[in-house]
Amino acid sequence: MGERSKHRILMVSDFFYPNFGGVENHIYYLSQCLLKLGHKVVVMTHAYGKRSGVRYMTGGLKVYYVPWKPFVMQNTLPTFYGTLPITRTILIREKISLVHGHQAFSTLCHEALMHARTMGYKVVFTDHSLYGFADAGSIHMNKVLQFTLADVSQAICVSHTSKENTVLRSGLPPEKVFVIPNAVDTAMFKPAPERLSSDEIVIVVISRLVYRKGADLLVEVIPEVCRLYPNVRFIVGGDGPKRVRIEEMREKHSLQDRVEMLGAVPHSKVQSVLISGHIFLNSSLTEAFCIAILEAASCGLLTVSTRVGGVPEVLPDDMVVLARPDPMDMVQAIQKAISMLPKMDPQAMHLRMKKLYSWHDVAKRTEIVYDRALRCSNQNLLERLSRYLTCGAWAGKLFCLVMIIDFLFWHLLQVLQPAKDIEEVPDIILPNCQYGEKSGDFSDA
Amino acid sequence: MLQFLKMASDSCIVNARYKYIHDDHKNPIEAIDAHHVLVRTSNSRVFFACLSALLLTSTAFSLSLLKDKSILILLWSLLLSALLVKLFLRKPVEKESIIIMSAFGVQLETQYGRGRKVHRFIPIDKILKPVLNECVTPVTCYWSLSLIVRGEEELTLVFKEIRPPVKMLIPIWKALCAATNSLGNLEQF
Repeated sequence: MGERSKHRILMVSDFFYPNFGGVENHIYYLSQCLLKLGHKVVVMTHAYGKRSGVRYMTGGLKVYYVPWKPFVMQNTLPTFYGTLPITRTILIREKISLVHGHQAFSTLCHEALMHARTMGYKVVFTDHSLYGFADAGSIHMNKVLQFTLADVSQAICVSHTSKENTVLRSGLPPEKVFVIPNAVDTAMFKPAPERLSSDEIVIVVISRLVYRKGADLLVEVIPEVCRLYPNVRFIVGGDGPKRVRIEEMREKHSLQDRVEMLGAVPHSKVQSVLISGHIFLNSSLTEAFCIAILEAASCGLLTVSTRVGGVPEVLPDDMVVLARPDPMDMVQAIQKAISMLPKMDPQAMHLRMKKLYSWHDVAKRTEIVYDRALRCSNQNLLERLSRYLTCGAWAGKLFCLVMIIDFLFWHLLQVLQPAKDIEEVPDIILPNCQYGEKSGDFSDA
Repeated sequence: MLQFLKMASDSCIVNARYKYIHDDHKNPIEAIDAHHVLVRTSNSRVFFACLSALLLTSTAFSLSLLKDKSILILLWSLLLSALLVKLFLRKPVEKESIIIMSAFGVQLETQYGRGRKVHRFIPIDKILKPVLNECVTPVTCYWSLSLIVRGEEELTLVFKEIRPPVKMLIPIWKALCAATNSLGNLEQF
């Protein structure tokens, strides 16, 4: 295995720190591990409130918070060509070799990938969620995805189910899609130092209390389990529109002392909530991967989950009990889990998870995808346009028109603001010194 | 009578839009380090000015011919186009300078097109650190040189109106660091 060349990667997504979530954590951990492997990573996202401009995170990760206002659900206003100047500036000044976009529901990602392809850069896309096919919103989003993925170099999905979903929605050839699962930070999610007593069994639920995450199922399952097992207690963490329903259920069945509502749990406190329980309950109605059950398994909890989406691919059979998304089936699964509890050893589970999932592994596999993407042939505009024409009778022609205008706009920008006027940024090496002073090699600037 | 001994360390960097001049006067009593950035008239400005003047004149000419209006309109349009050309060709900002007197402080100077000059003086002990910042706007990203001043909430920009390239900002930043003794590890540069 020869020496791999080092890449300079631009990660683009609307979702990044200071937001917390699956996509945000994925981008952050992947970037940190790629930095450790010696690559250069820059992240581009939209400004969050007053957090705008250039920021540096751990390990020298440079983040551009571009001051475009988000308009709905943290997404930047889609202007088609508005982000071309700033994207071009960032790509030239950081000497980027590859652009990696995340999440199909991010408008900034789609626009940046489109501009990167116009300017001839290689592009990789990662899809993190499952989407439907039937409703109006999904149909339009799938068309947008088809447009972006028509010309992508490689794509990554987080599970085989997600790969199937993405391939069907976008019409991408399956050979171009790699499956690289998410991972968990096992150093942060450690089990409790002392084993909990098994007189009282504690079931933990941590999720956003929305329809998608199966909050309605919880309303049916919790009273039934409490009735069958007098020694079972629930801890419910998280907030959302369905919280009211769970509070009502608590009142109706007088379960105030057996169901504890914690409200929104910040990400740093999740581990301390998890280690106070024996079983983790996940009732999502759809899930591409589900990092929550990985975190629970890493803390030594036995998981009970609905068998949806990519969930069956995540954990080995002896660490998870799966059920249909039906209240009775879930109650039976919890019964089975309670009977399995005495055989569980949290420390052994944690050690197994350490070997199974690590972000370094994800980074190495992603590196292989980058190498493959960079080996794709360079294509000129005409060849690329023929790919867009296959997207549909009307849509194909519309996409071609959009790309032609983007191409012309790019050439206009090259005249107005030549590439040699955009100065390249020197690589700043952050020394490990006390006061955090930066020294940089400015001699070649 | 004091004789100023001009040490010949004048350096000059030129690009399409700006010209950077560094005067380093060292005399027996004190050292004055002056850095000037002049704005150059670009060719595109001249082109646009002439084009707009030509368009205006030709429109007025054709109007006066077609509609048989008096020659007054043509004269007014000629006057207007002359004014436009003068306006376009005059630069809003002529020059921005920074004069570093390491014993006293730093003087920031902006010279506008009509001869107006704006000065700002910052005493040396109020300057905490000079910093090179990357500023991101919705369409571009550029470098700017600022001073962190004691008692002020916001950074003080050294060049308020113009955006010189980073290769012109670096020698000024180094001179400011030396004057304020900010960085201990300057020998790397």
